[in-house]
Amino acid sequence: MRSYKSYTFSFIVLAILLHSSLVGQEPLEELLPTESKFKEPKTRLWINTYGNIRISKRLFWVAQTHFRFEETEETPFIGQIGQIYNRHAIGYIYNKKVNAALGGVMRINFNTDENSIDRNVVPEFRIWHQYQFAMPVYSAMIYHRIRIEHRWTKGFEENSDYIFRNRWRYMFRAKIPLNKDRLESKTLYVSPEAELIMQSGKAVVGSVMEDLRLTTTLGYILTPRLTVAGGLMYSQGQTLDNPGIFKQNWTMRFHVYFSPDFRKVKNKLPEIHLND
Amino acid sequence: MFFLCCQAKAQENLRYKGELTVGKYQGNADYGYKIIDGDTLLNGSFRLKKANLDSLLKKQDYSFDFSGSFFNNFPNGAWSFRFGEFQSNNKSQVIDYQYRVAVSGVQEEARGLILKGKPDGNWTFEVSKIEDSKVAQTLFKSNITFDNGIPQKNFIIENDSITLAGRFLRNGLAHDEWSLYESFGLSASENWLFSNGVLNQIETELDGVVTITPIYGKYSGDTKILNLDKKYIQAIALYQLINDDAGVKAGGEMQRLLEENAAYYKKIDAILSELGESSFLPEFKVKVPYFPLTDDENQLLNRIKTNYKTSEEISTSFLEDTQLNILKLSDQDAAFNYEVIKKITKDFLNPVSKLLAYQNQEIVEFAPRNQLISGLWTSEKPSTTIEVNVVMDSTKTLQTFSLDSKEEFDFTHTNLESLVQLSEYALQSLTLIENKLKAKLTNSKRKQELISKEEELIAQQKTLQSLIDSVIVDSPSTIRTVLKKLRKHSEESLVSYALLTDLEPKLLKAQKLLVCYQQLEVLAKNIAKLPEQEEAIKERYKDRVWNPFMATLMDEEVKKRIVTAYKRVLVPYFLEQVKEDFRCRKTADLNILMNNTQQRMLELRTKNTSKLERKLRKINDPLTVFELLGIQPSSKEQ
Repeated sequence: MRSYKSYTFSFIVLAILLHSSLVGQEPLEELLPTESKFKEPKTRLWINTYGNIRISKRLFWVAQTHFRFEETEETPFIGQIGQIYNRHAIGYIYNKKVNAALGGVMRINFNTDENSIDRNVVPEFRIWHQYQFAMPVYSAMIYHRIRIEHRWTKGFEENSDYIFRNRWRYMFRAKIPLNKDRLESKTLYVSPEAELIMQSGKAVVGSVMEDLRLTTTLGYILTPRLTVAGGLMYSQGQTLDNPGIFKQNWTMRFHVYFSPDFRKVKNKLPEIHLND
Repeated sequence: MFFLCCQAKAQENLRYKGELTVGKYQGNADYGYKIIDGDTLLNGSFRLKKANLDSLLKKQDYSFDFSGSFFNNFPNGAWSFRFGEFQSNNKSQVIDYQYRVAVSGVQEEARGLILKGKPDGNWTFEVSKIEDSKVAQTLFKSNITFDNGIPQKNFIIENDSITLAGRFLRNGLAHDEWSLYESFGLSASENWLFSNGVLNQIETELDGVVTITPIYGKYSGDTKILNLDKKYIQAIALYQLINDDAGVKAGGEMQRLLEENAAYYKKIDAILSELGESSFLPEFKVKVPYFPLTDDENQLLNRIKTNYKTSEEISTSFLEDTQLNILKLSDQDAAFNYEVIKKITKDFLNPVSKLLAYQNQEIVEFAPRNQLISGLWTSEKPSTTIEVNVVMDSTKTLQTFSLDSKEEFDFTHTNLESLVQLSEYALQSLTLIENKLKAKLTNSKRKQELISKEEELIAQQKTLQSLIDSVIVDSPSTIRTVLKKLRKHSEESLVSYALLTDLEPKLLKAQKLLVCYQQLEVLAKNIAKLPEQEEAIKERYKDRVWNPFMATLMDEEVKKRIVTAYKRVLVPYFLEQVKEDFRCRKTADLNILMNNTQQRMLELRTKNTSKLERKLRKINDPLTVFELLGIQPSSKEQ
């Protein structure tokens, strides 16, 4: 019912927009092209660290820091810094296959428009929560992740106000071991993933598909507590300004996953298996 | 006045009625006594009895009833003793207001007069078999007349098969004819003819044929008075033997009957002695020819005994020696010595042992010495030259043995002195042979030992080699090299053993090698086990860890430094020890070290090892690692 309602809502918004354009408001007509336009893809490079620090039998601390670079006219991929992410949360382990997390993000956005005369850096804040479900399929694992973010952003222009949006994210991912029959130490694995990021909010007019990310990563489990991975992502999505215009990106991604456990051995041993 | 009064009071006759235990008899007593100077003296009539109806009805009852009288603590007057051992058939009847229970069993009854503790007048003993309260059979009966404890006149003793009747002189010595005949039927009888206590002859009659066996005949020399008991019978037998008398072996039956009689008297004596003072034993006296042993003769007998004991030990040890029994089949000299020992045992030791048996029975004094001594040999007395037949490879050769000092020995006479010489000669001969055989046997034993050791050695080496060959197949190459080396070591040590020629060092070395091979076998197994053990350790040092990114449990290696030290330092050390500088005596230590290491590694998994792990960093010296892990390296390493 809910999805039907939101669908109806989106449809009404779209209808109004179309109606407005039809009634001959000049700027809107200019804004919406007769057919979708796709911008030239940008190249980017992300270096992401993911930390899951176990703090008790059921709780862990999520600590992620991401560095995102993007091209300049001279340099592809790592021409300039785009964003620095700081994502934290407290995670709850329901069982081995199901966990959830709730936390906040402080992102620093850098102005990457080389021609801009506006501010160079603006902060962005989010509250986020996510629910992850894992299931084994033969030797592989597949994961469903639902992440919901409440996001406050503002533009680089002076005195611009924060705008509020909600993000609705669903990611499907698989991790398929290549050199072993299960995911364990010293395993090379391939991980295809697809994530659809939808958004909503007063400021979102038409551009509901913020991003669709298609990624393939190659990873290596060094130890149960340390994994590295690298891959390539293609993504596209409507620009906020104009739902008829799609941005595109090619992103190289490099990840480090670490999950230390500083609890004393005495406390750790009986509980680490949870309920198996 | 006072004194007299008290004395008079003390001598007053008192009575006791109640429980009394006399020896093994416990029952109801009723007797008179008086107290003189604090001592209780039985005086007056006496009765002690017991009969238990309860136990009779349940199972069986041992009843008794003793009655008589005492005078100043001596049994005196008419006495009767009854002992019953009855079972009941549990059937009762009432007759004249009394319940009557019929019993079956055995009753013993003795009655007669006692004068101052000694039997006097006629005494009868009767043992009857009772069936349903009636006498069914007389099992034993004796009837003897005494005069102040000394048997007199005629007596008769009978049991269920034989009867003995005879008579005594006034001094208690057997006299005239004593007859022993079967109680039923008159087919066989034995008459002993005594004159004044000396047994002249025995007449045996069997189916009407009378055989006369002279014993002491009309002996007129020194005599000694004995009781007619076992010793007397043995003395007669010895006397018969040395007189080459093949007549009947007399006296067995008679002696048994007299013993049975004595046992009954003893039973009563035990009761009376317990109560007061008595000597209630029938003494059937006889006279035997007496040849007393002088002090010198006793000393000579003791010397013979000592010589015999040592000789006998030597002879038995050789005759029963399995080694010698085997050796004599192939060794002429051993066979000869064996035969000599056999001959000495037969001709010297066995006759002497007979004499010593007589001495034990204390009957040497009752036979003339020279007759006794010559009677020890059925044929000729042996001489100093001992001739034996030695059979070797089915040829018989006659060989002689004698001591070099044989001229110093003379045992041709029939006296104890001569027997001492004879036993001395036997002992010296045996000692000489013992010394010769000992050396021979030791050498042969050693050779035998070596042969079996070598067989064992070869078998062990084969086991070791086949063990190595079988485990080598599946082993990784590092282990394979070491095992091959081990096989080579075992071969080399066998070669160096084979180069030895002398018996003693060979035996020593063989013993050492045996131990070595046993240890090598363990070592080979230990080394072959290493990969498997390494795997076991690796498994043990794993922990299941939940990886949040994969949502999967994974094995994590823990205490890596300890496992690495084991893999990189200790295992190579073990292998190196075998490859280089190999010595057999180190093998046992190495085996222990390997086992201890494995055990310690498994233990450390659950121990707090954070300090140890820090210390282990960058340490490559195996001995330091052992020390840190708390494993005692072998003493020689330190």
